[in-house]
Amino acid sequence: MSANNDIHDVLIIGSGATGSIAALVLAKAGHDVVCLEQGGWIEPGDFAHLHNDWAWRRATSWNPDVNMRSHPDDYPVDSDSSQVLMWNGVGGSTNVYGAIWPRYRPSDFRKGDEHGLQPNWPITYEDIAPHYDRVDLLLGTSGLAGDPAQPPRAPCPTGPLPFTAAAGRLAGAFDALGWHWWPVEAGVVSEAYDGRPGCNGCGMCNGCPRGSMTLNSRSIWPKALAAGARLQTHARVLRIETGADGRATGAIWKNRITGMEERTRARIVIVAANGVGTPRLLLASGNLANSSGMVGRNLLHHTLVAAQIWVDEPVNGQMGYVASLISREFAETDVSRGFVNGFNFNCLTSTPSAGEMTTGWMSGTTAPWGAGHHEWFEKHFGHSIGLFAIGDDLPNPDNRVFLDESRTDEDGVPVIRMHYEPGENDRRMMNYMLDRLEDVGRAAGAFEIALQDYRDANGVYRTPAWHMIGTCRMGADPETSVVNGWHQSWDVPNMFIMDGSVLATGGVVNPTPTISALALRASEHIRDNFADLSGTTRTLAA
Amino acid sequence: MSDSNNRTGIGPQLSAALAALVDELLPGKGDWPSGATLGVQHPVMERIAMHGGEAALDELAAALARIGAPFEGLEVDARVAAVRRLEAEEPARFRWLRNAAYQAYYENPAIVTLIDGRGTPYRLRPHVRGYELPAFDPATQTPTHGRGHWIRTADVRSVDTSGLNLETEITTKWGLQR
Ligand SMILES: Cc1cc2nc3c(=O)[nH]c(=O)nc-3n(C[C@H](O)[C@H](O)[C@H](O)COP(=O)(O)OP(=O)(O)OC[C@H]3O[C@@H](n4cnc5c(N)ncnc54)[C@H](O)[C@@H]3O)c2cc1C
Repeated sequence: MSANNDIHDVLIIGSGATGSIAALVLAKAGHDVVCLEQGGWIEPGDFAHLHNDWAWRRATSWNPDVNMRSHPDDYPVDSDSSQVLMWNGVGGSTNVYGAIWPRYRPSDFRKGDEHGLQPNWPITYEDIAPHYDRVDLLLGTSGLAGDPAQPPRAPCPTGPLPFTAAAGRLAGAFDALGWHWWPVEAGVVSEAYDGRPGCNGCGMCNGCPRGSMTLNSRSIWPKALAAGARLQTHARVLRIETGADGRATGAIWKNRITGMEERTRARIVIVAANGVGTPRLLLASGNLANSSGMVGRNLLHHTLVAAQIWVDEPVNGQMGYVASLISREFAETDVSRGFVNGFNFNCLTSTPSAGEMTTGWMSGTTAPWGAGHHEWFEKHFGHSIGLFAIGDDLPNPDNRVFLDESRTDEDGVPVIRMHYEPGENDRRMMNYMLDRLEDVGRAAGAFEIALQDYRDANGVYRTPAWHMIGTCRMGADPETSVVNGWHQSWDVPNMFIMDGSVLATGGVVNPTPTISALALRASEHIRDNFADLSGTTRTLAA
Repeated sequence: MSDSNNRTGIGPQLSAALAALVDELLPGKGDWPSGATLGVQHPVMERIAMHGGEAALDELAAALARIGAPFEGLEVDARVAAVRRLEAEEPARFRWLRNAAYQAYYENPAIVTLIDGRGTPYRLRPHVRGYELPAFDPATQTPTHGRGHWIRTADVRSVDTSGLNLETEITTKWGLQR
């Protein structure tokens, strides 16, 4: 073991969407910040985008599913259900994400009051509203203010992305149905911003090496490093250490270049390793911060079903940003539908790839082989539009990530396992969502509608889990939550959980704007109260 | 290599068998060249090797031999029937091969140019130059429908869930089975 006796102000574990924001805020305040990241930097050539065989790479080496690629920066995740989507490296999962950038709404924080099948958050929408606006400025986003289905917001730093033909076709369908729609907000700049070029409409939105999409390795890390933060790559944290007083003292990590174990000590420890990595680390650190028994539990992915439709007029959905519109028509609870909570339509353009179109892109509909192939292609490519319906799933403690004590990975850490199964409310919601997707397809005049329920031949729901949240949820009660409203562990008062695992409910949208706004808020709280928090021995209800 | 004798000739034979399969999957028609004309079998073979190593190539050679590829002297109907047999008897292998063939076909520069030339804008590496799209026009593209609502924090009210019977009325048919 190589030991360094320096005690840093702040140790951050994980350099993704949230760890990077914490590093920037705290380093800018003059704190001595070290971030340990298990993966390396992702170079432009590592992305699929710059290669002729980019579509093939998206299915293999650049596949966001850790179990479909073979990458040395990953750790094993054994899932009996969900597809485990994430990226381990500087910038975390933002390297492969789509950056659809919608916000929660006030009722998402008040589900305890609304029906009691989910907890209230210990904070309200109003608590994070200003941070939503500021995180947009920090990261660079695009969109159109004024959506009547959302609380008022400051203008996005750049205007909306081009309104594609797919957007126009769907807008017409929603108008015919009398349903809400709005141009999508994106973590992508539509024009030059903060040294990054505006989007060029390439359509390949799983990461973006040119940097029009806000990858935190591009938008945040250079600034954090310039402010003095130190980033140690290839540093896989094996366990967090605590002292006799129960406070965190730092972490033991494996230097993946030298193979040596090293120790880093700090006054405050921030865990930002995502909804799988954080519970994994806490459980592997002697069940740390888990007096509630909630670490790893209440895994949320959202209810998710999808449709692919094809229309006669060319819409050329291979061009333009991956998403086109959002419809918030069904975002609030209406029990007459037979379930609580709501959902949104995340309307896409289409796949950028002709190959993906023929191999079943979104719905599993494949081009026939043989004599009819080319005719099918001419009719379908350039004519497809994708739609997701994405809703608020109810928490279930049995949906979880947990350690397999009988198996360890190459670092001697027990293998993490994942189990997720939709509950009764979720199943009813997904049935309703599929019916409404058909309504949209018909209203759009589709000549073909293919639905996707993400169930395999045995009926197992294998959702593409790009959202892995809830596994260290925040709350007002230490008995039922892992952190308080400032992300501070109830059990380890100088340890903060910064990543998406703290979300108490999933809302009806992609979570990263909310995750990022929360990270900004918590980082500023640590910055503004550093003296108290670095010495505290007690976590108070926020 | 210890098993090299068993594998003598697999390269050219496999290549020919795979080319024949690829031509059944992606026959030429009109402007569209056939898969083998473009050499689609080569990247497919390379990717099989990348995916499963030499053992996968051996297995593939055996599977193609079982259906009689490269189909010399067979009429169209017999060739199609042979490929259908592979599809029915080894669905996973067939799916993998079909997808690999489709992907290799559509990433070929000749096909990319053909698609683009037919009037569907398409690039070999779209990320490099992107696509020309007109900028959002606030005057004509801002929604004017006025629809949409949200509930303020203070206005969130308790809903009556007593009729939902989430514990007792279980949905067994869901998803595409609903
Ligand atoms: C394919 C895909 C598409 C997505 N699309 C969208 C979208 O359109 N909109 C949206 O809102 N969200 C999207 N997301 C989700 C978004 O990427 C995540 O919400 C966000 O990145 C979560 O941030 P995080 O900080 O919690 O974790 P991450 O960004 O995943 O970062 C965690 C980091 O911690 C590191 N780490 C983990 N364990 C250790 C350890 N033991 N030691 C050291 N380092 C460790 C990891 O290597 C990683 O770099 C998508 C995700 C994926 C995978």
